Amino acid sequence: MADPLLEVDDLAVEYLTGNANVRAVNGVSFTVGPGEFLGIVGESGCGKSTLLFAVAQLLSPPGEVVGGKVMFHGRNMVRLSRGELQSMRWRDYSIVMQSAMNALNPMKSIGAQFKDTLQAHGATSNDDVRQRSTEVMNLVGIDPAHLHSYPHQLSGGMRQRAMIAMALLFTPQLVIMDEPTSALDVVAQQSLMTKIKDLQRSLGFAVIFVTHDMSVVSRYSDRVLVMYAGEIAEAARTAEVFERPLHPYTRGLMNAFPSVRGPRRDLVGIPGSPPDLARPPSGCRFHPRCPDVMPACLSNEPDLYRVGDTDVRCLLYAEQAKEAV
Amino acid sequence: MAQPRDSPDSTASSAEPLLRAVDLTRHFRLGGLFSKHSLHAVDDLNLNIREREIVALVGESGSGKSTVARLLARIYKPTRGEIYYRGRSLRSLRSRKDQLWYRGEVALVLQDPFSSLHPVFHVSHGVTRNLALHRAELKRNERRREAERVCETVGLSPKMLSRFPYEMSGGERQRIGFAQALAVAPKLILADEPVSMLDVSIRIGILNMMAGLRDREGVSLLYITHDLASARYVADRVVVMYAGHLVEEGPTETVLSSPKHPYTQLLLSAVAEPSEKDAEIAADSGEPPRVIDPTEGCRFRWRCPHAIEKCAQVTPRPTPIGEAQVACHVAVAEAQRASNPASIS
Repeated sequence: MADPLLEVDDLAVEYLTGNANVRAVNGVSFTVGPGEFLGIVGESGCGKSTLLFAVAQLLSPPGEVVGGKVMFHGRNMVRLSRGELQSMRWRDYSIVMQSAMNALNPMKSIGAQFKDTLQAHGATSNDDVRQRSTEVMNLVGIDPAHLHSYPHQLSGGMRQRAMIAMALLFTPQLVIMDEPTSALDVVAQQSLMTKIKDLQRSLGFAVIFVTHDMSVVSRYSDRVLVMYAGEIAEAARTAEVFERPLHPYTRGLMNAFPSVRGPRRDLVGIPGSPPDLARPPSGCRFHPRCPDVMPACLSNEPDLYRVGDTDVRCLLYAEQAKEAV
Repeated sequence: MAQPRDSPDSTASSAEPLLRAVDLTRHFRLGGLFSKHSLHAVDDLNLNIREREIVALVGESGSGKSTVARLLARIYKPTRGEIYYRGRSLRSLRSRKDQLWYRGEVALVLQDPFSSLHPVFHVSHGVTRNLALHRAELKRNERRREAERVCETVGLSPKMLSRFPYEMSGGERQRIGFAQALAVAPKLILADEPVSMLDVSIRIGILNMMAGLRDREGVSLLYITHDLASARYVADRVVVMYAGHLVEEGPTETVLSSPKHPYTQLLLSAVAEPSEKDAEIAADSGEPPRVIDPTEGCRFRWRCPHAIEKCAQVTPRPTPIGEAQVACHVAVAEAQRASNPASIS
């Protein structure tokens, strides 16, 4: 593979709370190649949004990166100053937030918000601003007339599209998306995803896409990271994960989705609930909910083992990985 | 399923469903006191819920499905139409005794378990309050025991009753929501998107619990959702709504394996399956219209690939096709042609 666009190495994020520090992201490493579509899946509270915020350097106290590197364009983003980051935001990378209703400024028209962004990065004449705004609105399939609309005048799907248009103003190389479709209805969700994928193919930017919905990831991403309790549980190419899920948690997630086609069968989901990160379980963090738990899981923390092309954090594969080496 | 034949005044019989809504309609006035505009949230909906049955009410946001739940829970009054519960019209329930009776028979579970529990009370508060209100015959210690029993029914340990909502996870809170509903020993639970706020790994547990309530406690459920896959997983029958109208209704497998209405087909095609790659994707990006002062005609016609002239002139009414009811001119005409090829003129 060519040089990665983004390289996250052993990243750790803590929330500094009164009595104990909560480690929301623990030793996460991954890379994103140019033009790659990476899906990050996990339940709420697994640290996936925190991870994105850390990558984009948007964490605010009490959240703090306590270890690791985020290399982007050959620079460690963790070390950059506010000013240096500001010049990169929107231009080199951009973020699409989960709820466009809250992410867009309700007091300004869509066009005015585009103008702000463009001018912050040195765009100049009103003509340029108007031209580029019109272009990106056409890209995402909204009538440019809506540049004069305020966010409340748009439907949920259109607002989310407007957010994506804004993220593409400078055609950055990396677009980070935090559950952009989860507030939308199925039909709108589907059409938005198709749009994102089309744009990604034609403009060639890389996407980090966070979601809790395995089905969205299955259809659109090249690679998948499954996160559990702040750690990577499994990382592999999408097809690999769906054909041969290795981690019991991944298998549980796949088993938690009823299907609309095929035979009806009973599903079990995953009993229990995600752990409190202030007091993570000993050993493997998944062991209290794991159907394949072994005595060793209670005390030994599993590493990320390599099985074939998949990285998996589960003691079931410790032997297998050793033999392969 | 046949349309209800008996007149509204008939008494409860074995053929009478548990709950029957006839031409249920709810409009909301928009704007000021003298505004003439109204939003048609639900129009002429006929809905039956039988005993021991889970009916899924499916639709996008804005399709009027939550309004239906609120109408059935008597939070809203219908603009027009009637709701019969065990053959009694809800309009006839006036006295406090009657109202308590109805609320003891039909319970509501809300979407958001994070805001629907009282934050300053133990979660036992809601459960025991329902017991005291609706089952006055129970003594204090019996109430406690009954509270523990419903808690176990929904899969929680009785110890949970002395917790505060903030000490519980979303899935646990939603189970408390169901426990509160069950405390009144209802025959029907109206569940308004009970799993949409929960994590995927927990959703299945709640759905399995709903199926268990039907099978073991004999409770009927109206399961409101926008997720066709989960509707298929638990429901016996599916009702699909679009912009306040019922567009298709029938046994779950019939509707989902051979959807007749173009909207149901669109919904189905939009469901991504983990197992399939690059399936055919509908190019549709629309969302349900806000139905303000609508005129006659099918409300789906602007998004419909098969729309014909008639669709803009006549509102299609639900018409039986096989076991299902479909409100679509094109699908009904097609079905008639298929069943009776000789009659083409």
